[in-house]
Amino acid sequence: MNKTMLGYVPTESPIYEVHPFVKLFFLLIVSLYPMFIAAPEWNALLMVIIFILMWFSRVDLRTMRIYIPMFISMGSIIFISYVLFGGNHPEYVLLARVFVINIYWERIRDAIVVYFRILPMIVTMVFFLTTSRERDVIVAMRSIKVPFVVTYVFAMALRSAGMVLEDFHIVREAEQARGFDTIGKSLAYKIRKYVMYMIPLFALSLRRSEEFTNALVARGYAFTGEVSRVKRADYLLTHYSFKPHDLVLTVLVGVSFVTLLFFKYGLGYFNLDTSIFINWLFRIIS
Amino acid sequence: MANVIIEIKNYSWRYLNTTSPALTNINLTVEEGKFIGIIGPNGSGKTTLAYSLDGLIPGQYNGIKEGEVLVYGKEVEQYARGELQRSVGVVFSDPESQFTAMTVEDELVFGMENLGMSVPEIRERLEWVTELTDLKPLLMKPPYEISGGQKQRVALAAVLAMTPKVMILDEPTSMLDPISRKRIFEVLEKLKSEGSNTIMVIEHSLENLIPLADRMILLSGGELVLEDETRRFFQKMPLLLEKGVHPPGSMQFFYELTENGFISNLLPLGIDEAVVELEELVGRKSGYGDPR
Amino acid sequence: MDTSKPSELTAEQIWTVQPGEKRSVGVIHIVILALLIGIGFVVGAFGSISFPLGFGVNFFWTGIAVQQVGSIWFGLWGVIAGFIFPFFSNGIAGTPFYVSLAYIPANLVQGFLPAWAFRFFKADPRLKKGRDYVILFLAMIISSAFGALYSPLVVLKGFGLLTTESVPLFIWGWFGGNVVAGIVFNFILLRALSGVVIRTTAFVKKWWA
Repeated sequence: MNKTMLGYVPTESPIYEVHPFVKLFFLLIVSLYPMFIAAPEWNALLMVIIFILMWFSRVDLRTMRIYIPMFISMGSIIFISYVLFGGNHPEYVLLARVFVINIYWERIRDAIVVYFRILPMIVTMVFFLTTSRERDVIVAMRSIKVPFVVTYVFAMALRSAGMVLEDFHIVREAEQARGFDTIGKSLAYKIRKYVMYMIPLFALSLRRSEEFTNALVARGYAFTGEVSRVKRADYLLTHYSFKPHDLVLTVLVGVSFVTLLFFKYGLGYFNLDTSIFINWLFRIIS
Repeated sequence: MANVIIEIKNYSWRYLNTTSPALTNINLTVEEGKFIGIIGPNGSGKTTLAYSLDGLIPGQYNGIKEGEVLVYGKEVEQYARGELQRSVGVVFSDPESQFTAMTVEDELVFGMENLGMSVPEIRERLEWVTELTDLKPLLMKPPYEISGGQKQRVALAAVLAMTPKVMILDEPTSMLDPISRKRIFEVLEKLKSEGSNTIMVIEHSLENLIPLADRMILLSGGELVLEDETRRFFQKMPLLLEKGVHPPGSMQFFYELTENGFISNLLPLGIDEAVVELEELVGRKSGYGDPR
Repeated sequence: MDTSKPSELTAEQIWTVQPGEKRSVGVIHIVILALLIGIGFVVGAFGSISFPLGFGVNFFWTGIAVQQVGSIWFGLWGVIAGFIFPFFSNGIAGTPFYVSLAYIPANLVQGFLPAWAFRFFKADPRLKKGRDYVILFLAMIISSAFGALYSPLVVLKGFGLLTTESVPLFIWGWFGGNVVAGIVFNFILLRALSGVVIRTTAFVKKWWA
């Protein structure tokens, strides 16, 4: 198994045949699709396609479980925001009145549209995180000639996030060993405890900055000056080659995006008027 | 006479916001190709000395400097950013704090890329250094997921890959078990046998250091107390003990024998020499050999 | 070179480059940038996951400490880290990438304003006087107010994620979540660690060094 940014993927997965640039390109472009699609059934289809891609890549779909509470809370917030804070709109179709709250069809519809827009964006991000290693992101960035310092900062940031988490666990265990625990305590107590965790976390990171700097300087890295302008060999990229199927995939993603725009603005697809689901729902509710 | 590559003249360094200097009036020369051991109690200035040779002091630290630190005839401050580190490499005591890359391979390659080496050159150098430090099976692993001994070998290899002419190792085995420690010194031994580097090692583990060191330096309280060829260095046993240095037991044992007139030779530097010396002594005592 | 102990330094001296003092951008600043992004990632994600309102808006956003304290100590390096790490922390918590992208101006102002206020008014990062507390508090309030108005109104409404009627809830959520967390963390962090930070070569007196 190989560790990705969110979970593990078996070594035999076909996703390793895909160049990291294609994965990043997929994330950036496909994340845009829901912005142009209002009809929920199309966004739902997009989600299904991404799930299929995850399954094909042999990603453990149980990873999605950690996002279920978030999907539920987000759905609730959208529902509350749109339906309960829907305001007063006489031009809308009033479905019901609960105390002083008017329940409008248009608000329910809009809440569904928004929710089904957000879901595929999140799933696309999760697909990227579950199929990409940190190294892949760096390779993708270097492939498109992002300056080395940017990619290096990115890599160091990911590394330091891991170290901060480790530090947090160590500090927490040390506190627990001394009898301090937040389980069952009040919110104010927990907040006070977390404040006290922040100070050592910051202090450890500051000390670490000195050590990291010494290590970088000792290996001849400089941010300014002549040495910083040395042409780097990008040895990392030699492990990856852009194959014909990568080109095909990239073109496919690009063309599908252009096609989507054509269908939306040229032929009027993906709108609410032509949405089968919305029309069906309206018939049911009203 | 070998080429002098490091000259330290009347060098003192005081960190900002401290009352006493970390190093006081250090005078030292280091010849090319030598293996130097630096010892001393904690806080004696060993790390400060190491950093001063690599330009980390005063480059990365605020403080007050007096005197000169010359590497290859040039003051460390006169080197452009990143230039001195191509000649002088430092391996720090905590390997974890030196790792900023995602894989061992990336860690090893980072320094070589900074030098502007080409891909074929990097490939060749990588092959050499992983062979030397036995790191080939670990190349694709994250450096923070390997054992302490492996981490230290990675840290060493990352600097070695840049083939600095001078290598300074600051307590490279302080966090290692005895077996891992031995492996590090085996690598150093191989390097020494190749003869292409000047190596300076700060260590507390004298058993492994002494057999390799050509010369030894003792720092105490920021001052250079003693500096000599290794064998003569350890003749000054009372001074070493007074300054908190504890030579290997076998050496101390033979010092006592010397003090009591049983032997008059220079002290053995390791177990093997001690055994030979002891055999000779026992042989003499039992009548097989020259009478004393 | 000023060799005074940190305890003897005045606020004016802390922010003023002394005669003969040389300050320049170095590797340490790149490292600080990366480390702040890393801390912000973890700390911000904690807030986003533990106290979510939605779309990266939280009732108690601990990331504000990294944005504001990091910017006070490290100038523009902290400001840059302050608008980069929310990509990571929001992303983990499920906020779409393009929403995080659109939040940049809010996060930029939230980091920049305290940094500017401390430098312009020569406030002591160690918070020695009442004046220092007031400057910090006002900077926190004003910057969070900007963020709170900009993000729900421009971003969330612009993306169609909120109705006009629910915008006030998110405005107060953003504002309150930042200010309350800021009050809890900023003062303590500055008091506890500024004395150490101003001694380091990473500390930024101007904007970059």
